Amino acid sequence: MEAKPRGLKILEAVTVVLFLISLWMVFFYAPVEKVMGEVQRVFYYHVATAWVGMLGFGVALVAGIAYLRTSKRKWDIVGLAAVEISLVFFFITILMGSIWARPIWNAWWTWDPRLTTATIVELVYAAYLLLRQGIEDPDRRARFGAVYAILGFISVPLTFLSIRIFRTIHPVVIGNSDPTATGNFDMTSKMLQTFLYGLFTFSVIFATLLWHRIRLGWLADKVEQLRLKTSE
Amino acid sequence: MDKPIVRNEVSAFSSIRSFSSAVWAVVWKDLSAELRSRELISAMLVFALLVILIFNFALELDAKTRGTVTAGVLWVTFAFAGTLGLNRSMAMEKDRGCLDGLLLTPVDRSAIYFGKAIGNLFFMLLVEAIVLPVYSVLYSTNLFKPGLLLVILLGSIGYVAVGTLLSAMAVQTRTRDILLPILLFPLVVPVMIAAVKSSSAFLEGGAMADIWPWLNLLIVYDVIFTAVAFMVFDYVVEE
Amino acid sequence: MLFDEGPANTLNYMIAGYAVFFTAMIFYLASLLMRYRNLKQDLEVLEEIELHDEPKS
Repeated sequence: MEAKPRGLKILEAVTVVLFLISLWMVFFYAPVEKVMGEVQRVFYYHVATAWVGMLGFGVALVAGIAYLRTSKRKWDIVGLAAVEISLVFFFITILMGSIWARPIWNAWWTWDPRLTTATIVELVYAAYLLLRQGIEDPDRRARFGAVYAILGFISVPLTFLSIRIFRTIHPVVIGNSDPTATGNFDMTSKMLQTFLYGLFTFSVIFATLLWHRIRLGWLADKVEQLRLKTSE
Repeated sequence: MDKPIVRNEVSAFSSIRSFSSAVWAVVWKDLSAELRSRELISAMLVFALLVILIFNFALELDAKTRGTVTAGVLWVTFAFAGTLGLNRSMAMEKDRGCLDGLLLTPVDRSAIYFGKAIGNLFFMLLVEAIVLPVYSVLYSTNLFKPGLLLVILLGSIGYVAVGTLLSAMAVQTRTRDILLPILLFPLVVPVMIAAVKSSSAFLEGGAMADIWPWLNLLIVYDVIFTAVAFMVFDYVVEE
Repeated sequence: MLFDEGPANTLNYMIAGYAVFFTAMIFYLASLLMRYRNLKQDLEVLEEIELHDEPKS
């Protein structure tokens, strides 16, 4: 755990390459959108970061259930790492969404289902971290974190559904799309490729960051245990 | 060699009859304690009435806007008063050592959960039952529509189901009281939205076809979260 | 027709959007790095203390 494992170094290199290719695709390969102009490019990473956010939540759910069943430290460390990374990425999603909204709908915020749900999920993440902060005992901290991650994950589809029934002006990109409606756009094949490649790249970025954050978590764990031991 | 005799207390005690009697024991404990001191109800009630008073000044509750805004005002009031009740209910449990006492009994942990949840639900419904006529009188609106009462019941169940579980966690942290709303509100968004929209529709005489999705959502939420809380409560109170 | 005018000039917004992305990522990576360094230091200090504690206990 001291030196960076070779696998991680390879993964990092791969991530960098994939990311550079993705950037090229986003800025040069994909065409300019007819109506919205350049700002549409924001969409690629707006969705990609949201994807990472949801991936992270899924990982946190699995880690939560696994911790409750096995009580093994590693699951707690994985869960915390996943939530922290997702917090950062959803934050980016929300801001990019807001910036995209401004020229299209002339408002910095739109109370549409996806963006609002993302914000609520962000609050769930923040609550998760605050919950952990208030607990000294590592096992209890892990258990409570796991429980909250599970509850949070289950609430999200219901939240999304409720807001969707409530209102929607978010562009429907895949499937039913009316190109004359403001904010909607048809994806050409190049755009679709850029979009899908973006999702793939970000999945790899997520894996790399998760690995790094887990290593950090193990180190923090070791320090905490030693601290408890030497203070006796 | 004799095999060690394992007295399987758990199987002996966790028959359904003893489970429900444990549940009702917890409920009765809370109710009778509250009957004597009336701490919880009075705190929740005063708080709820203050919130409604504040809303009167904060929003223009004239006859016209009142119709659209009543449901929202009511549910915000219930949400905040509910949080107060949940917090205090669990805090009293912990501070008086009741929680530890209950945990020593050889009964399924989830009986404690159901007992607390039912107690909390009762208190919340009681406060709501008092707030409704008060609001009706203050603003000359008739709030006694059966549909509204159903929504209040369904919404309160969902709120209390999640709230009881989370308050059991929050009470064991350093940040206690402040933490419960932070944990609770993001998770009960579906309840709030569904409750407000369906309440509003019932009050203004909306079509049942429009209201059904909201009621369904409430029922689904209640069922799912009660089940999950039931499964997970053990992990929250183990020592 | 709208399309005759060509796409809207929203270049600034795109730049803003990506600036947000890169800034946030850099901040997070920096945070990871700093926390790692701090913990490494803490570990060294604690291991020293542990070493000195042992002959006493």
